[in-house]
Amino acid sequence: MTTFRQAGLILLIAVGLAGVTAAVHPKRPAFVAPPTDPNQLNLAQVQHWAGTVLWVDARPDAEFASGHIPEAVSLNFENWPEQFPKFLDLYGPDRQVVVYCSATSCQLSREIAEKLRTSGITNAYFLEGGWEAWKQAHP
Amino acid sequence: MRLSLLLSLFLAVPAFAQLKWETTEQSVKAKPGDHEIVATYRFTNTGTTPITIDNVHTSCGCTTAALAKNDYAPGESGQIVARMDIASRTGHQEKSIIVTTKENAKSPTVLRLLADIPEPIVMKPSFVMWTIGESPTPKTIDIKVTDGFPIKLLKVEADNPDIQLEVSEVRPGVELQVKVTPKDTKRPESATLLVRTDYPTDNPQTYYAYARVR
Repeated sequence: MTTFRQAGLILLIAVGLAGVTAAVHPKRPAFVAPPTDPNQLNLAQVQHWAGTVLWVDARPDAEFASGHIPEAVSLNFENWPEQFPKFLDLYGPDRQVVVYCSATSCQLSREIAEKLRTSGITNAYFLEGGWEAWKQAHP
Repeated sequence: MRLSLLLSLFLAVPAFAQLKWETTEQSVKAKPGDHEIVATYRFTNTGTTPITIDNVHTSCGCTTAALAKNDYAPGESGQIVARMDIASRTGHQEKSIIVTTKENAKSPTVLRLLADIPEPIVMKPSFVMWTIGESPTPKTIDIKVTDGFPIKLLKVEADNPDIQLEVSEVRPGVELQVKVTPKDTKRPESATLLVRTDYPTDNPQTYYAYARVR
């Protein structure tokens, strides 16, 4: 009985200490995953749109030139004034715009999609995993 | 003997190299006319051994980070200067600069650059569209100069006579309402709306909005 009591006491102390650590430790992990951006899509979601997707490559021109998703259009902050009208010539109300950049850590696709939405292209999304994810799915 | 060994173990000062940063986060607000944002991150090697910064990379191709040299003696200070190209970026921007040292390769320091870039002129929206056969009803673009920018809106014109504009001044020179109407929507049409300004005086800028029928 004493052994059980001691074990219970140790467990109680451990749980208490863990609770305090979880509450005050500066590097404690988040209990709840950060909310996903509603404008972020994965490849499986994009594939539902099949031929209606207008791919937008947000990477710098040199990276676009070295390889991109077939029929993607280049649109980046550095050349926005020249590239945006060209993008509009391909855009139509029946097309879903999906922006990508190099990989998951890249923020450019999110930023370009946001700029497109504020410009009036309401159906602009960005691809989770970016160009790397697309390449992995299309070896 | 044992006691002295134990004491020496406890009292020995371990050799270590460590960078202490003045700040790892900088907030910068761009001013009218700025083409880049510059932030400086100062550090000191507060350790007891030399330290080598062997890698500095940024989260965006738009940002560079310059370091004068790689090796820093104990007590020596240095700085990393980050420069972000504004280009067509506007609004709140967050970029990271990741600094890795040879001595602590698995724990890089992440420096954050928070930039606020005001847009000289806000157009809501900057693109209007009609589908073929849709009723050619007017669509409105609101154009406004952002507070703090010494810009005067002079004129708005379209480069295609089949897209008509009706411009009304909400506040003269600083806020306009433009009603855009295609003559008809029977065939595809394309127009660029040119928003003429008087700023900067030596090379006045034109801003663009777009209309399409498709």
